[in-house]
Amino acid sequence: MTIAPERTTTTAPPTEVPAGAPGPAIGRAVDRVDGLAKATGTARFSAEYPIPGLTHAVLVHAPIARGRITALDTTVAEAHPGVVLVLTHHNAPRLTPPPARMNPMDLSTMAAGSTIPFLNTDEVHVDGQPVAAVVAETLEAAQYAASLVRVEYLEVTPTGDFDAELGNSTPVRSMPVMPPTGGKRGDARAAYGRSPVQVDLAFSTPQHNHNALEPHATTAEWDGDRLTVYEGCQNIDWTQKYLAKRFGISAGDVHVVAKFVGGAFGGKSKVWAATLIACMAAKVAQRPVRLALTREGVYRTVGGRTPTRQRVAIGASASGHMEALIHEVTSRKGRVGGEADQVVACSLDLYDAATILAEQRIVELDLMPNTAMRAPGEAQGSFAVESAVDELAVVLGLDPVDLRLRNQPGERSPVHGTRYSHRRLAQTLERGRDLFGWADRPAPGTRDGKDLVGWGVAAAIHPSWEFIANVQLTVDATGGVTLACAFHEMGMGTATVVGQMVADCLDVPLERVTAVYGDSDLPMGPGAGGSGQTASLAASIERACRAMRKRLDSLSDRVGMPDGSDPGEVLSRAGEGSLTVEVGADSGPRATWGQVRFLSKMVLDSRRWMKAATGAHFCEVRVDADTGELRVTRWTSVFDVGRVVNPKTTHSQLRGGIVMGLGLAMGEETLIDTRSARIMNPSLAEYHVPVHADVPHLDIHTLDDPDPQMPLGILGAGEVGIVGVGAAVANAVRHATGRRVTDLPLTLDRIVG
Amino acid sequence: MNGAPRALDGTDPSTTILDWLRAQGLTGAKEGCAEGECGACSIMVARPTEGSGTQWTAINACLVPVAALDGQEVVTSEGLGRPDALHPVQREMAVRGGSQCGYCTPGFICSMAAEYYREGRCAPTAATPDPSQNGHEPAATANDPGNAPDHEHGPNGFDLHALSGNLCRCTGYRPIRDAAYALGAPADDDPYAARLAAAPPAARATRLDGATGTYARPGDLTEALSLLADHPDAVLVAGATDWGVEVNIRGARTPFAIGIDRLPELRTLSVGDDSVEIGAALSLSEVERGLAGRVPLLDKMFPQFASRLIRNGATIGGNLGTGSPIGDTPPALLALEALVVLASADGEREVPLADYFTGYRQTVKREGELIRAVRIPLPLSEVTAFHKIAKRRFDDISSVAVGFALDLREGVVTKARIGLGGVAATPIRALATEAALEGRAWSADVVREAAAVMRAEGTPMDDHRASAAYRTATLGTALLKLHAETATQQEVGA
Repeated sequence: MTIAPERTTTTAPPTEVPAGAPGPAIGRAVDRVDGLAKATGTARFSAEYPIPGLTHAVLVHAPIARGRITALDTTVAEAHPGVVLVLTHHNAPRLTPPPARMNPMDLSTMAAGSTIPFLNTDEVHVDGQPVAAVVAETLEAAQYAASLVRVEYLEVTPTGDFDAELGNSTPVRSMPVMPPTGGKRGDARAAYGRSPVQVDLAFSTPQHNHNALEPHATTAEWDGDRLTVYEGCQNIDWTQKYLAKRFGISAGDVHVVAKFVGGAFGGKSKVWAATLIACMAAKVAQRPVRLALTREGVYRTVGGRTPTRQRVAIGASASGHMEALIHEVTSRKGRVGGEADQVVACSLDLYDAATILAEQRIVELDLMPNTAMRAPGEAQGSFAVESAVDELAVVLGLDPVDLRLRNQPGERSPVHGTRYSHRRLAQTLERGRDLFGWADRPAPGTRDGKDLVGWGVAAAIHPSWEFIANVQLTVDATGGVTLACAFHEMGMGTATVVGQMVADCLDVPLERVTAVYGDSDLPMGPGAGGSGQTASLAASIERACRAMRKRLDSLSDRVGMPDGSDPGEVLSRAGEGSLTVEVGADSGPRATWGQVRFLSKMVLDSRRWMKAATGAHFCEVRVDADTGELRVTRWTSVFDVGRVVNPKTTHSQLRGGIVMGLGLAMGEETLIDTRSARIMNPSLAEYHVPVHADVPHLDIHTLDDPDPQMPLGILGAGEVGIVGVGAAVANAVRHATGRRVTDLPLTLDRIVG
Repeated sequence: MNGAPRALDGTDPSTTILDWLRAQGLTGAKEGCAEGECGACSIMVARPTEGSGTQWTAINACLVPVAALDGQEVVTSEGLGRPDALHPVQREMAVRGGSQCGYCTPGFICSMAAEYYREGRCAPTAATPDPSQNGHEPAATANDPGNAPDHEHGPNGFDLHALSGNLCRCTGYRPIRDAAYALGAPADDDPYAARLAAAPPAARATRLDGATGTYARPGDLTEALSLLADHPDAVLVAGATDWGVEVNIRGARTPFAIGIDRLPELRTLSVGDDSVEIGAALSLSEVERGLAGRVPLLDKMFPQFASRLIRNGATIGGNLGTGSPIGDTPPALLALEALVVLASADGEREVPLADYFTGYRQTVKREGELIRAVRIPLPLSEVTAFHKIAKRRFDDISSVAVGFALDLREGVVTKARIGLGGVAATPIRALATEAALEGRAWSADVVREAAAVMRAEGTPMDDHRASAAYRTATLGTALLKLHAETATQQEVGA
């Protein structure tokens, strides 16, 4: 599991090391520790472990969204050469049902992708629900035999039309500690009515799917009652505990390996059908089973981002002070799972409106439950609120940057009343304005040849999260330092920045540090979600390094060396082979104590502080005046993500967020046939993620200003990049064409109108 | 396979080279979509140049049956280099952060390596990005959006279109482009560069029988036609960019597949006095290189056609053989008044492309016939254009595609040929618009009138690519766009 510390470090000029960095490693643009393995094709993803006796499983998906299986004939499939077995609800092992409610002391109770008892029922709840799995000696045989399974259904008309169900929505209640889905300051409706300037717009955003390049894949192997699962997931702890619960075994008997994860973006946080079915199939076949989903299989069995219908109404004074900000949202979940995204969250903290009202409602449909996707809620909500603010600037005849600056909150969050740990949103706007050359913004509707040219701006905010991270830090007599923790590397660069943090906190050269991760045999790591993994690890690494330094110093006292001596030399002199420090415990009373401490700190923190990454996007678009074809031609963003541990990986995370935002703005849309509740475009050919040519030169800047309330000052960078991108593009289109497009994506027919 | 032979024994004819590689433990190439959209499966194969040498060609491994590569040379990311002996492309990708989650990386490596070895790619210049800029953004200003000579080419001659068929969901593409633009020229002792001078392995006749059917590659056209006569329901497979999707996504299997992509009679390209004849089994990339700009309308179409990875596999005959209403070559070829040369055991016949399509995915091609070539009559019209409107800039299926070929004499349209895709069940000629233009002045008034006629061409429908109304609107503006372009050109020319 160990990655050799084979770093080719880039020599950066000293001026590029940010001021205030705690040591020589943090702040350096260090190369990714696993870049070489990935570039040579030797990095092993979860479908790539060579396992003796491996079999391959392929799912049979129901072509209906609601109903019951009336007949199931597997005989032809079973007779196909190479088929080992066909797993259906007739022969699949019975699993313990998923936990009915969330237990704050065990967050793996949130891991169920849906409540469907897969292959334990003859009922169909969503289109594409797996109703059988064919296990065969080769992938080819399993694929072909899957087409030979005959299933008949009694179909019930599904409810699949979001717009038709809006009238049946129910209110969403905000839960303590969870991201806010509502909020109130004063009487916004009354204040809106009195406001001299009013903007009131309706918005829609479609469903999105994550489309991580790696389709979900599971390799499962049983040894008696012990289960090993190779699974590209972003929450090893949840996966381990959830599988244990479902299969009625202890968590210690489930071994989850997730060394390399081919992108996730929220889509691999929960446990979905194929993971369970691979484990079931391996149990029945008594052979290791690999189940790698097809791209369509991912669309059919893993949730995406909820669509939204939104209304934003802003009342303002003639001088551009916001008197009222109203944000009303309806999203959807599945009848068999899912929850509300925090769509209104941005509206609670972007502006200091005198009155604010944010409310969310939700409808249930016979569709795959939604799940978190990069900045869940903020990505959609920021499109609406930042578009409306831009429209307000147009109505007022004010510069949209000035309008935003004029309405920045002071020290406290307008709705929560909590104190901002540090707030740099205004600085990101001002710096971005200078870098982009905003002063030269062309007149609205400026034409250059066949193109209309427009410039747009939008602000971004994303809250910061911390989770429990148990770590083990070991120093050996050769001077090697190993940090062990079951954290996740899905491309963000965590395995790289962890080394940088350990090096500086322990004051050792970076080359000495190795991170071991991605395996449930290691101390429990934080889930990779909420942009919180790095900050969570930073807190535990700081503690572990402090404790290690203390023990090293007492050792060095004993052998007569000065404090702060090289750890390897101290250990050698003391005749010790190695020294290990642990932070947190995975089980027993210490684990419970850790949970309690974590939860109380979280509650306390949420009452005192509002901590968030912020940013500002500036862009130029060109719209073909004849066809409405849209190109984004220039982009500058400035972010405050707190301390930047590694500019190379951080900037890449931010750019990746922006590109996913460009997808949201210009092309991404999961199309649902409302009558059959079926996804019509479950493929990369028909779901348009951005290609290279869609993406302009992205100019990214970070303030690199540590947040005083976050571990090592880190606010997190995984999600803030996508927030506001849709609005920035829509605002530039408005500037170019005069047309306010309020429905995503901004396709050419909507722009032409 | 990466320099050593590997046996295909026991492989099913429907097995793709990707699944075969992965079953062999070569898991560098990966499946992201199984339909040639994402490029995570990209590999390099040795293909012939127009001369006598080899061109490393990147293709989508997910689409091609492994049987079609019997006797060929294949290189994957594992073959290019190892962590302790990196290929220059791998080194640049690693140190510039071009690899993030890493899943798309080996595919990018192969696409990038093929372009790295492309003959005629310029030598590196002093403008190569400074490695110390790694992870730090050079300041961009309104006047200088980047440091590349243009938006699609690096200072080292790297053509960004080489990566148009590779999707990345993590990096924002920027570090990948930095890596591509930082590549120098291959070293003198680079074995893959040295390989370019010699010819690639010749195609060899082969036959693979399996549980679900047979793949047969005949040695020549006569043998192919006789196989086709014996198996009238056989599927003709060339680049497999369409058939591979049928197999992977729709579970299609065929009792008999005939590989025709390497038949010598289907791989000729000749320019005569009265026509250009293009062999049906030439890939679109080969046609592009072979024509070398001699048919400007096709040159305008090529970059719009899917991606480089697909164009390296997809053949011009295959694009017509499927009879799709939204293929990209038909609107261009219709405007060029191309003829389809159909061969059967009884001989050959030529059918104007305008008469070739009979209905949705239906053509006049008879049982036992295959497309041998496409013939484009000469001389070519002097004013040509290709307009493709799609949801995404590249690597997408068109909503509407229009091919124009006009002859102008003293400001009068003497001949107009307009091909349309995406507005009816088949590609069609815009006959009414052509009539509205011919014999009349190429003036703003006439063009406006003809544009109104063009709006009414075809029977566009609503689908998820575009609404019927949008398609109609696009048709109406296409001619205006062309007129505006020619007016600009004339001004520039004057």
